[in-house]
Amino acid sequence: MSSFDDSQIIADFVVESREHLADIENQLLAIEAGGADIDSDLVNEVFRAVHSVKGAAGFLGFTTLGHLAHELENVLNLVRSRELVPTPEVVDVLLRAADTLRRMIEDIHNCNNTDISRHVAELQAVAAGDDVPSAPAEPPVMAPQQETPMPKSDPTPTSEPDPPVAETSSVDAPQPGPLSPSSSPEPMTPISPEPSTPAMSAPTDSASTLPPVVSTPPETSIRVSVSVLDHLMNLAGELVLSRNQLLQTVNSAEQIGLDSVAARVDQVTSELQETIMQTRMQVIGTIFQKFPRVVRDLSNQLNKECELTIDGKDVELDKSIIEAIGDPLTHLVRNAVDHGIEYPDVRAAAGKPVKGTISLRAYHQAGKVNIAISDDGGGIDAPRLKEKAVTRGLITPEQARDMSDREALRLIFHPGFSMAEKVTDVSGRGVGMDVVKTNIEKLGGAVGIETTPGKGTTIDVKLPLTLAIVPSLVVRSGARRFAIPQASINELVRIRAKDVSTKIEHLNKAEVFRLRGTLLPLVRLNKTLRSANIDIGPDESAAENEALHIIVVEAGHLRYGLIVDGLHDSEEIVVKPLGRHMQDSGCLAGATILGDGEVALILDVSGIATYAALKLPSDDSVCATTDDTIVDADKETQTTLLFTNAPTERFAIPMELIARLERIHSNQIDTVGGAEVLQYRGTTLPLLRLESYITALPGENLEKLYVVVFKVMRREVGLIVPRLEDIRNVSTDVDMVTFREPGVIGAIVVNDKTTRLLDLYELTAAAHPDWFATEKKPNTPSASKSVEAPTDPSAVRILLAEDSGFFRNQVTKFFEGDGYEVVGCEDGQIAWETLKASDRPFTMVVTDIEMPNMDGCQLARMIREDPTTAHLPVIALTSLASEEDMQRGMESGIDDYQIKLDRERLLAAVARYAKEGTSCALASTTS
Amino acid sequence: MSQLTQSSTAVATIAAGQEFATFYVADLLLGVNILQVEEINRHVTLTPVPHSPDYVRGVINLRGEVVTVVDLKAILGLPEGEITKDTRNVVVNSKGEQIGLLVDRIADVVKAPGDMIEPPPANLGGVDGRYFKGVVKLQHDLLVILDVESALAMNTNSH
Repeated sequence: MSSFDDSQIIADFVVESREHLADIENQLLAIEAGGADIDSDLVNEVFRAVHSVKGAAGFLGFTTLGHLAHELENVLNLVRSRELVPTPEVVDVLLRAADTLRRMIEDIHNCNNTDISRHVAELQAVAAGDDVPSAPAEPPVMAPQQETPMPKSDPTPTSEPDPPVAETSSVDAPQPGPLSPSSSPEPMTPISPEPSTPAMSAPTDSASTLPPVVSTPPETSIRVSVSVLDHLMNLAGELVLSRNQLLQTVNSAEQIGLDSVAARVDQVTSELQETIMQTRMQVIGTIFQKFPRVVRDLSNQLNKECELTIDGKDVELDKSIIEAIGDPLTHLVRNAVDHGIEYPDVRAAAGKPVKGTISLRAYHQAGKVNIAISDDGGGIDAPRLKEKAVTRGLITPEQARDMSDREALRLIFHPGFSMAEKVTDVSGRGVGMDVVKTNIEKLGGAVGIETTPGKGTTIDVKLPLTLAIVPSLVVRSGARRFAIPQASINELVRIRAKDVSTKIEHLNKAEVFRLRGTLLPLVRLNKTLRSANIDIGPDESAAENEALHIIVVEAGHLRYGLIVDGLHDSEEIVVKPLGRHMQDSGCLAGATILGDGEVALILDVSGIATYAALKLPSDDSVCATTDDTIVDADKETQTTLLFTNAPTERFAIPMELIARLERIHSNQIDTVGGAEVLQYRGTTLPLLRLESYITALPGENLEKLYVVVFKVMRREVGLIVPRLEDIRNVSTDVDMVTFREPGVIGAIVVNDKTTRLLDLYELTAAAHPDWFATEKKPNTPSASKSVEAPTDPSAVRILLAEDSGFFRNQVTKFFEGDGYEVVGCEDGQIAWETLKASDRPFTMVVTDIEMPNMDGCQLARMIREDPTTAHLPVIALTSLASEEDMQRGMESGIDDYQIKLDRERLLAAVARYAKEGTSCALASTTS
Repeated sequence: MSQLTQSSTAVATIAAGQEFATFYVADLLLGVNILQVEEINRHVTLTPVPHSPDYVRGVINLRGEVVTVVDLKAILGLPEGEITKDTRNVVVNSKGEQIGLLVDRIADVVKAPGDMIEPPPANLGGVDGRYFKGVVKLQHDLLVILDVESALAMNTNSH
């Protein structure tokens, strides 16, 4: 036999044995779970796997390997014949031995030098029915499973007579070495003689006794089903045919039929691509399957009880992603056991099942693969996180104070942060979630975290299906084309040329765009990419009179609009890395070759956000990261526009009420009949000056002014604002006494400066009382005109659940102004109790979403579930609702969403539901 | 078999001295060991890369691979020149990566026995000598052997 053949055979043996043993862990765990109720099929399967390894090992001269396999087989044989109950202790021994077996196979050339004496001793002891020598490395296994090792006699006759027994044990014969007779039909004979004392006393784990392993390179071969290969072969054949056709057609004088040949090449190529991708796809189960063991071992070690449920094993991902995702996922699963699940006594005290559940779920969503790792443990305590971050010096106490809980959660991704109370060998080494996050982001994925204190934590990992081919949008900036991966694109917005000047607003020199109620920071791609040495064409963005293409992109939690000069096609691009001289550009993710052969660069939207130093109020997290925000994490906040009238006096307006911001020149203001107006979009916009209606110093006289445009009574009004300061999340801790006057809701403190919060409605009422003359009717039954069909307001009873006193008062004031009866409650729990206890029926429920004890969604769900209240309309009040939140709300039974301080819309909605509600109530009473 | 062929070529090369692909950058005649040159082409339609170092002129599509093209003049600190009809792209292999060197004009392949190569002066025509491996005196000209790796090392060539 030539040496070539030998190494080939050994390589085959390694591959085969790996496959045999691939599932052994989970099978052993299943056997353990079955306890005395033995699934003989399962045991047989493991037995056969080990047996095959043993046979081949003996043949190839790997005696040590064979020896270990043989001892394993002995124990399995006893289990199979029901002479030994697979208690956790027994399975521990089996698992450890199987581990070593696998390690030996991975390092096959050194396997004869491996010290297996400890395993042999343990296995023999188990076979002999002795007490298992507990593994020195691990604390004693918890003892809830007090299954007294059952007497091996109770031959509950099983249906299968175990045919493989005879088969396999007969092959045992050629086993070399001075082994105890394996095929002995009486395996109970104590194999006491040489429980190899040296190994027993050696407290080291077998892993550490191994010589420094020459690490075998990670698996480089892959299994492809023959049908896929055949298909590939066919396609390759077709490709060759198409090529021949193509060459013929091109060479022929007329080049007739080039189109059809091109179409054919196109089709074959895409099919070929798809099939090749298919060969690279692997099920995620290959990673998941190692987690039951991880969870089991770790929970034993920590004296916790955990159960792992796995969903979506069959979800397929590209091989390269599968390989790269293993470690991060392992880390997350270990975290869930270590930090997530509480100790059994803690769980019992909290009224939870003693056994914690960790669930792993993989599923497809929107062209991506999602993996959710959730536990039903204690959740993450945000205040404690902050405390920890402060003591580690990662953030200042001021930052901690200003940090929302959601932001605080993201601290766990901070380098050098560990959640563990104490440093254990399981975790707390300070390398952790940040590495997980970076690794996942390197794969083009994202990590999200959600937690409910006391209920558990879910970590969401989003991954692309494959790395090699990315559907992208090709855009133009200057004369150049760039590709943006579709995955990071939310939507496309086009602003017509004539709307550009009005729709794009300027805040602190930054451009923003109001997209369905939220402010979207804008980045001009031209400006971002222009640098001294690169000519990307003329600066076309300067031409204000051109239509704008905004690509709304999402980078992590940040959403912003990227202004490009033009849109081209969608293309599936193949990502090529950029050379080493261009690695530090954060804005580019690589390059690709477009259909016409030109190179296009691929944009990295998160890199661009970083480069452009975006921090605008596109969402709460971004806004709140400015370290001087004055938001107390637990308190409700309100986004406001801060400005000064006279330089020393600062005011705030709730963002939601502002329709637009305009920048005007002071000489654009006309005076008509003593009132200041602005000619604006073909109409006349009445202007207000603060000092005319409230106690305030006269405003600064500047050449350039801002006008805050808002709507009251369906009319647009402009408030002159000399100097804009900022957009800020402020606490709703409003002092409603000190500065209260018509037009001023009260005062808040922002950056140690008293800021008056304006009531635009009252302000307008003071300025234009005539507008309200017919409409203002406190407590009069004559319905307002904003209500389409009159309902008697006094018959309408509204239950208002809102934890913030400020909002509760404001909204109550709105409702009472329209003549409704309002009952205010401080949270969902109280609201529910009030609802149930009330003797008079309510017409509708208006509720805040975020509340202590019971939130708005829960309240809505309770209302829907109770037949006596199920018909009640539920309107949710929010400060800023994301679509996701709305979706969730709708699912729990919320009928409508309204913005807290948008008085008119809120009242219109209430009126609408009041009409429905009363008619509904009538119907129910008549029926 | 294949090993045999390879080593015999190597022996032959040593016997005959090294061969250099030579080209002009401004007035300098530079040479690169021909074994390091993968190809020379006229591929000068470049896609510029924003935020890249100033000596990177852009990237090209070289038969499906995206290849960085650097401007040797910028690296050597010579005044910037224009792309003409003589401009060529010398694609070299550096640390496993293909990189194009933009040169003004291509010249002959020059054979130089090892003993003809002299150490470079500290400064040559205003260019720092660290980029050069040596000089070879030719009949009419001085051939300067370019040290491709140090010219392409990223930390050294920031001017």
